[in-house]
Amino acid sequence: MIRVAVLPIGPIPPSLFRDYASMLFLHHKIDLSTISSFYTEHQKSPFAHQPWDSNGSLRFKFIVGGSPPSPWEDFQSNRKTLAVIGICHCPSSPDLGLVAEQFAVACKGYSSSLVQRCFAFAPGDSQLEDYKRKEGNLILFPPADRQTQEFHLLTMMQDIAASLLMEFEKWVLQAESGGTILKTPLDSQASLSSEEVIKAKKRRLGRAQKTIGDYCLLAGSPVDANAHYSTALELARLTGDYFWYAGALEGSVCALLVDRMGQKDPVLEEEVKFRYDSVILHYRKSFIQDNAQRVSPVSFELEATLKLARFLCRRELAKEVAELLTAAADGAKSLIDASDRLILYVEVARLFGTLGHHRKAAFFSRQVAQLYLQQESRLAAISAMQVLAMTTKAYRVQSRASIAKSSLPNEIGSTQADGGKMHHHSIVSLFESQWSTIQMVVLREILLSAVRAGDPLAAWSAAARLLRSYYPLITPAGQNGLEGALANSAEKLPSGTRCADPALPFVRLHSFPLHPSQMDIVKRNPDREDWWAGSAPSGPFIYTPFSKGEPNNSNKHELIWVVGEPVQVLVELANPCGFNLMVDSIYLSVHSGNFDAFPISVNLPPNSSKVITLSGIPTKVGPMAIPGCLVHCFGVITEHLFRDVDNLLLGAAQGLVISDPFRCCGSVKLKNVVVPNISVVPPLPLLVSHVVGGDGALILYEGEIRDVLITLANAGTVSVEQAHISLSGKNQDSVLSFACEALKDALPLKPGAEVTVPITLKAWQLGLVDADSASKSLFGSTGRQAKDLSSPMLVIHYSGSLVSSGEAITDEPAVPPGRRLVVPLNICVLQGLSFVKARLLSMEIPAHVGENPPKLQNVENGSSEDARSPNSSENKTDSLVRIDPYRGSWGLRFLELELSNPTDVVFEISVSVQLEKPSVEDSSCGDRDTAEFGYPKTRIDRDYTARVLIPLEHFKLPILDGSFFVKDSQIGPTTSRSSSFSEKNAKAELNASIKNLISRIKVRWQSGRNSSGELNIKDAIQAALQTSVMDVLLPDPLTFGFRLAENYNRRAKLSPNKDFHNEVHSPVSKGSVLAHDMTPMEVLVRNNTKEMIRMSLSITCRDVAGENCIESNKATVLWAGVLNSVSVEVPPLREIKHSFSLYFLVPGEYTLLAAAEIDDANDLLRARARSNSPDEPIFCRGPPFHVRVIAHV
Amino acid sequence: MASTACFMIVSRNDIPIYEAEVGAAVKKEDAAQQHQFILHAALDIVQDLAWTTSAMFLKAIDRFNDLVVSVYVTAVIHTRLMLLHDSRNDDGIKSFFQEVHELYIKILLNPLYLPGSRITSSHFDTKVRALARKYL
Repeated sequence: MIRVAVLPIGPIPPSLFRDYASMLFLHHKIDLSTISSFYTEHQKSPFAHQPWDSNGSLRFKFIVGGSPPSPWEDFQSNRKTLAVIGICHCPSSPDLGLVAEQFAVACKGYSSSLVQRCFAFAPGDSQLEDYKRKEGNLILFPPADRQTQEFHLLTMMQDIAASLLMEFEKWVLQAESGGTILKTPLDSQASLSSEEVIKAKKRRLGRAQKTIGDYCLLAGSPVDANAHYSTALELARLTGDYFWYAGALEGSVCALLVDRMGQKDPVLEEEVKFRYDSVILHYRKSFIQDNAQRVSPVSFELEATLKLARFLCRRELAKEVAELLTAAADGAKSLIDASDRLILYVEVARLFGTLGHHRKAAFFSRQVAQLYLQQESRLAAISAMQVLAMTTKAYRVQSRASIAKSSLPNEIGSTQADGGKMHHHSIVSLFESQWSTIQMVVLREILLSAVRAGDPLAAWSAAARLLRSYYPLITPAGQNGLEGALANSAEKLPSGTRCADPALPFVRLHSFPLHPSQMDIVKRNPDREDWWAGSAPSGPFIYTPFSKGEPNNSNKHELIWVVGEPVQVLVELANPCGFNLMVDSIYLSVHSGNFDAFPISVNLPPNSSKVITLSGIPTKVGPMAIPGCLVHCFGVITEHLFRDVDNLLLGAAQGLVISDPFRCCGSVKLKNVVVPNISVVPPLPLLVSHVVGGDGALILYEGEIRDVLITLANAGTVSVEQAHISLSGKNQDSVLSFACEALKDALPLKPGAEVTVPITLKAWQLGLVDADSASKSLFGSTGRQAKDLSSPMLVIHYSGSLVSSGEAITDEPAVPPGRRLVVPLNICVLQGLSFVKARLLSMEIPAHVGENPPKLQNVENGSSEDARSPNSSENKTDSLVRIDPYRGSWGLRFLELELSNPTDVVFEISVSVQLEKPSVEDSSCGDRDTAEFGYPKTRIDRDYTARVLIPLEHFKLPILDGSFFVKDSQIGPTTSRSSSFSEKNAKAELNASIKNLISRIKVRWQSGRNSSGELNIKDAIQAALQTSVMDVLLPDPLTFGFRLAENYNRRAKLSPNKDFHNEVHSPVSKGSVLAHDMTPMEVLVRNNTKEMIRMSLSITCRDVAGENCIESNKATVLWAGVLNSVSVEVPPLREIKHSFSLYFLVPGEYTLLAAAEIDDANDLLRARARSNSPDEPIFCRGPPFHVRVIAHV
Repeated sequence: MASTACFMIVSRNDIPIYEAEVGAAVKKEDAAQQHQFILHAALDIVQDLAWTTSAMFLKAIDRFNDLVVSVYVTAVIHTRLMLLHDSRNDDGIKSFFQEVHELYIKILLNPLYLPGSRITSSHFDTKVRALARKYL
């Protein structure tokens, strides 16, 4: 290679100079065939075998800026600078004369140069004029485009090549004829003896031959060169000139290779190896002890070694090459000059790199860097930094930036796909080659060199990597130092600088908060009416056993975000170092560009971790990926990927990484959170609910019924097209009704519109535990507990229009999802009235004998009509308790409810009985409408207990039937069991009738103005009635009644009622008989059974004292007719009439009693009478009837 | 006893799982780092050589300055015991390697030891240092 110095002449901008030089460098090889036109043969060429036609060429080695002459120029001609090219930029140096002068001066330094040219680019017109007058080495390139200029340059280079060739010829001819003196620094300076003078002459010939060979090679004629080298070898061997022998041998190898260029031949390779071994050997031989201090051929030996290594450098020969390189590296010790050693190491590193031994290459690169660092200059530091940067790959401490360039998509992809399911080996491979010690050293050296080189970004990056990866191995003082380095570097960086390597806070994904239940998004199934069904887990459970099977299936984790609605992501930050970490801002990093993230700033104390909420707003529809966070910390913006930390934690869990940054900060171990697939959907409607009258918990007493209004407003930007309300949660039955129609009617609900939905609630009963918790939560700080535990929830599914609004980016028209709004009905139930006990009381009030007993069938009809007729106040009171004068007054029963009021408000109780006549097979009782009887309100003060009486008189059935008897046999323990068939049936019927009875009793309460409710005491009533239900329900077999005979002139109406004594004071005409008057009376006996009853009827009359006033010796009543043992037969369901007359002697109160002994009583009657033995006579006694006898007026 | 010796066990994944400076010379941090660098670089040579020979003991496969690297490659899971030394006591080194190999196998037999992870047993450390004193 012909050395050409390229020098800038005159002032020239560096970039332009580089530009011009690069144009020049294109022409480093000039084919001989192209320069023939410039070549003029002055005399016979010494290069007899110049390959003009074939592939012969001249090669140039451009040395920009030139180089000082080497002392070894004579030994190897390629070390001579044979040509000088000046580059001049005309606009900046207008005076061409001056340029020419400067160039001439510059050329003086290159004494061995044979050709000098100065290229001047971009000359002005005046300069062109000027140039025409001048002659010399100055060549002007007229301004043109680059291609043209390159062409011009090529021409010029060909000219230079031709000139050089001619100069070579000249030199060789001269050397052949006259000889020349060639010296190397090796040659002893001492005066030579005569013998040595002769030897030196011979040597001189050999050396001349070798140099001629060199020139032949330079001229591109290897065959000529080989011939000359052979001669030189002979001569050098004869004279023992080992150094030149080795040089000639090396030259001959070069000639051989140039000649056989492009051929790969094992024989050739062997030859080259053999010759080079000999070269190395002879260089070593030429080592002369006496001048070893000054000069040494050892560098030639090493150079030869490296050349051989480079020649052999192939994978198959790795072992040989490695040995050569190791030997060369060993030679470094004997090199005096540090820069020689540096070059040696560079070359060794490069060859190892080519060989594929990256670790070796890195090792020597680091040696190089250390040598650079020993030079205290900025440029050396930059070089050191760059060299170290090359080693980072082998030591696995690369900057993220360089990885990104050489991107490893496979690795990244697989890690992501695997998620947490990587098995052990792949985890290990993640942490391959973790030589932490040397990695730290390398990073520290990079940091040091970067600081020295004044590259703040590199320094920052190195410090960041060091701190992040090796903080457990760095002392707190060292950590502080690194923090300082980061801060210092950041000061020198422009603000907003990004760095690929994240520094401190370790950021990991904590969780994605689910949509609050008010904004839940539900996939829509367009095919179904209930489009929300089966799309989302319903109910309050976060965990469902069905989702357990595939916990890591990333398809399962899908999040839907809505354009324009803020979202939140929880991340955890950790600062495991011993200094306070100030994160200027941190926000989610989203590459898909459809997200506005809101930055926040965090302060992390030493050794701490923190969970923070990062939020943002999706802006565009489409999939979204959140690989990590952007962090602005230590003055630089870095991206922290979640995946890196996940891998780190995985490694820590396996004991492969030194420390888990989160655990050493005291954070709890967290399950690996997989970043879900997030998709952003177009805007959806958003309903916001709000309870009219405050969103707080409603406080209701047990059983209270209240209407609640819930306002639903559409806060979204899309109108609601479909909506559906359902219930979920506990105590659903406490919602009596909700007006789904109100919402449906309001559809489509435009953005901003509101609709009010009324809901009727009824508070449920508190259990024992409930009562405790309810009272606790009431007096505790929040009502949340009660709300969460037992309140029902209103679930509203709603959605926008079915067709998406056109801007959907997916090909298939995806159905926009719907939403679910869960409105918890916060009900706090307080204990209200509590039921203490229920009892059945019986009361006996005698009936009054009147003259106008209505027909039995009509009694109830009449009474109900009475109840409806509002003609008198008495009638009203009558309606409260109705005692059938012919049947009921005797065994009147009351249900007594004892209620206590533990609360601090007053309750008013009103009892109502719904009267409903059950239709029986006997058509005599027609169907009747239900009628309700209200009783006066009872007031129960706070902390008091009160009793409420409920008469149960109207529930008696009209017929004593066999079927009832069977029922009886179920309950009554004494009766024998009857046929099995009817039993169940009958029992069910009885139960039904009991239930019917109970359900007709309603106990309502009211407290204050607006709370009212109903007591749920059915069970208690049933318990109370259970034992005596038979008595309540079943009529006696016979009903007795008295009345005044038709012909009695005064009509009196029987008015048996509770306020009987008030009745006494009512007008006489109402129902009394006169003393001393024959009063015809009738006793009515009704058979309530379906069979004929024969009996003997007896009638007695008693006075107030209870004495029998008919038969005793002091009888005050005279009678006519039969009173005792009247044998009568009563047909089924009919009544008979037995007439008699009484004559009262003394006014006053009398009681008439009828009794009957039933003959041949059947089982039914026996059972009803609860008689044990079949022989026992069955007595049937009627209720007492009062007769008021007044004195004659 | 050699003046400088650095012993390392490198797992199949090229992770150092055990390292010990067993030389008699005064320990300097710089030197220790340099030793690791040399051993790390020597892995390239081991990688080539290990497959060319059936021997487990590869003596003096690499050198830098006056430090020599000898390696013992275990057969089963390709763990490499690497010694950087400046002595030429081949027999001693071989015996050392063999004994350490036995110790390493005992570590492997520990069910709680995850192959490929760091050896933290202090017992192992003590034994290795004793062997180094004995043979090197």
